[in-house]
Amino acid sequence: MRQGTQTKWPAVVPIAMPLLVMLLFLSGKAAGQEEVASAARRYKAYEESTGYYEQFEVLPGRRQAVRRIPGVGQEPFAYSPTAALVRSRTHLADSHQSLKFYENLRCEYCHPDQARDLHTVRANLTCRQCHGGEPIASMDHYYSLMNPIRRHAYVCAKCHEGASASFASYVIHAPAAGSRLARQTFPVLYYAYWFMLALLVGTLAFFIPHSFLVGLRELLPPRTKEET
Amino acid sequence: MEPKRIRRFSPLDRMFHLALMLTFILQSATGFGRLFITTPWGQGLCRVFGGYDNALVVHQWVGVVMIWGFLAHIGFLLARIQWKRLPESVFGGDSLVPNAQDLKRFGQQVRWFLGKGGPPRHDRWTYWEKFDYWAVFWGMPLLAVTGLMLMHPIASSRYVEGWVLNVAALLHRAEAILAVTYIFVVHFFIGHLRPTSFPMNEAMFSGTVTLKHAVEEKPEWVARLEGEGRLHDAAAAPPASWYRTLYFIFGYLVLCTGIYLLASAIAYSRHIQLH
Ligand code: HEC
Ligand code: HEC
Ligand code: HEC
Repeated sequence: MRQGTQTKWPAVVPIAMPLLVMLLFLSGKAAGQEEVASAARRYKAYEESTGYYEQFEVLPGRRQAVRRIPGVGQEPFAYSPTAALVRSRTHLADSHQSLKFYENLRCEYCHPDQARDLHTVRANLTCRQCHGGEPIASMDHYYSLMNPIRRHAYVCAKCHEGASASFASYVIHAPAAGSRLARQTFPVLYYAYWFMLALLVGTLAFFIPHSFLVGLRELLPPRTKEET
Repeated sequence: MEPKRIRRFSPLDRMFHLALMLTFILQSATGFGRLFITTPWGQGLCRVFGGYDNALVVHQWVGVVMIWGFLAHIGFLLARIQWKRLPESVFGGDSLVPNAQDLKRFGQQVRWFLGKGGPPRHDRWTYWEKFDYWAVFWGMPLLAVTGLMLMHPIASSRYVEGWVLNVAALLHRAEAILAVTYIFVVHFFIGHLRPTSFPMNEAMFSGTVTLKHAVEEKPEWVARLEGEGRLHDAAAAPPASWYRTLYFIFGYLVLCTGIYLLASAIAYSRHIQLH
């Protein structure tokens, strides 16, 4: 880097001007809502994700980052994974079928872990805005709204115009990023969290004492040349 | 005769720093306001910017300005490299690129902390000043990419799977917290509050330092300027007193805002989670 004794303004202007002009356009409308020209992309974004290709039904790609392990982490119902497969209500049309007092309780009472997501806490959505009215089907029931085949269209697109199947693989009820549960079900999030935390702690653990020592040392009398 | 003051930052450098200060403090305020929206403090902060939704609009626009500023900065960097004397220009004393000298000086610094030997003879940039620069330099693209993804989640989920947005949101928040903590604690302290710099390190605002200060803090730099016969070219006038008053007030306003934001964020951190 040259020492900036003289800045040539004229040379600078041709670089800066186009940038300033482009600045005006960057935050325009997202491209997500426009008509798609490429057939390949169109297939990916629409046909594949609707579950229909011409008149055939097709299985959408499994895009989930989350490996769902039934029973794990749901402490009152913490069966072994095998037992959970049998016992828990994973394929029911009404997942709350014959649960006692279901009508009288709030969702959060039985599902505290699901009431901590961004949509509920910050955007103030109610559970039913996504999960719909009665009956609430099990996640894995074929006709559930939450089936990845139609989740984006029936759930997310109500509010997020243009939502695609890929978009709908965003994990709404993400586990707490640093938790053991996250390591099992959403490893990428888990490692991203601990990496950033290590970076934060590492940087501060080095620079806070360092700055403090610089400050302290400057207060102490300087040594003479001969001593050093 | 030796000059009384020498030039340290060009007007362009100072303009970038000023723009970074303003955008950074705005991003911290709007970002924290939204992150802490479930607490009364966050709600108050958002109200300043016209509520939860408007704070986001401000945050996005300021972010876009930052991105263009960063790109422009890279453009100017490339323009400043003297391609004809390439290794010297990138790894020499006037460059912010870390080099072997920095390691050596860090070793001397540690010995100085322990009372063995004098302080290292710094060149134009000390190693912690270089770290300051590169911390921001690498933080920017991470915040920019994750920020743009969250700004256009539907568009970006065409190119990556939707669950990457979970990770992007986490990285954006974590990196922001890292940057804010670093700037408001380490950068403020070592830049302005430690005994030698107190009450304020004016170099970045006036663009100049007194030769006496430079000889004390950066002896190698002055020696090099003298050796290359450039000391006289670097001579500069002291800042006008009205300008000095102005940047003192401005600097302290930003500094206090920063520390206020960080302190409140720490106080309220128990009540939120990093969605
Ligand atoms: C009485 C307690 C109770 C209440 C109240 C309750 N649930 Fe449930 N819910 C359950 C149980 C038990 C299951 C089955 C859990 C399992 O399979 O692990 C379940 C399953 C579910 C499932 C399917 C989970 C899966 O993995 O398939 C969803 C979705 C759901 N509940 C949503 C809700 C919503 C929305 C509300 C509020 C309108 C609600 N629940 C209220 C107890 C309750
Ligand atoms: C923004 C939409 C949205 C809202 C609001 C929402 N959910 Fe969900 N919920 C989902 C999606 C999508 C899934 C499927 C997650 C998956 O397959 O990984 C899900 C899954 C679940 C499950 C199954 C277990 C799991 O974590 O995957 C339960 C139980 C549940 N939700 C309960 C609730 C309750 C209770 C609330 C209200 C406090 C609520 N949900 C609010 C979208 C939502
Ligand atoms: C009832 C309306 C509604 C529905 C349905 C809904 N969302 Fe949202 N979503 C919102 C709102 C409002 C926000 C803005 C929240 C904020 O800014 O705090 C949001 C924000 C988001 C974000 C940005 C998160 C971030 O960290 O900035 C993502 C990603 C998202 N939603 C995904 C989904 C997915 C996937 C679904 C379908 C399962 C869905 N949403 C369903 C209303 C909805």
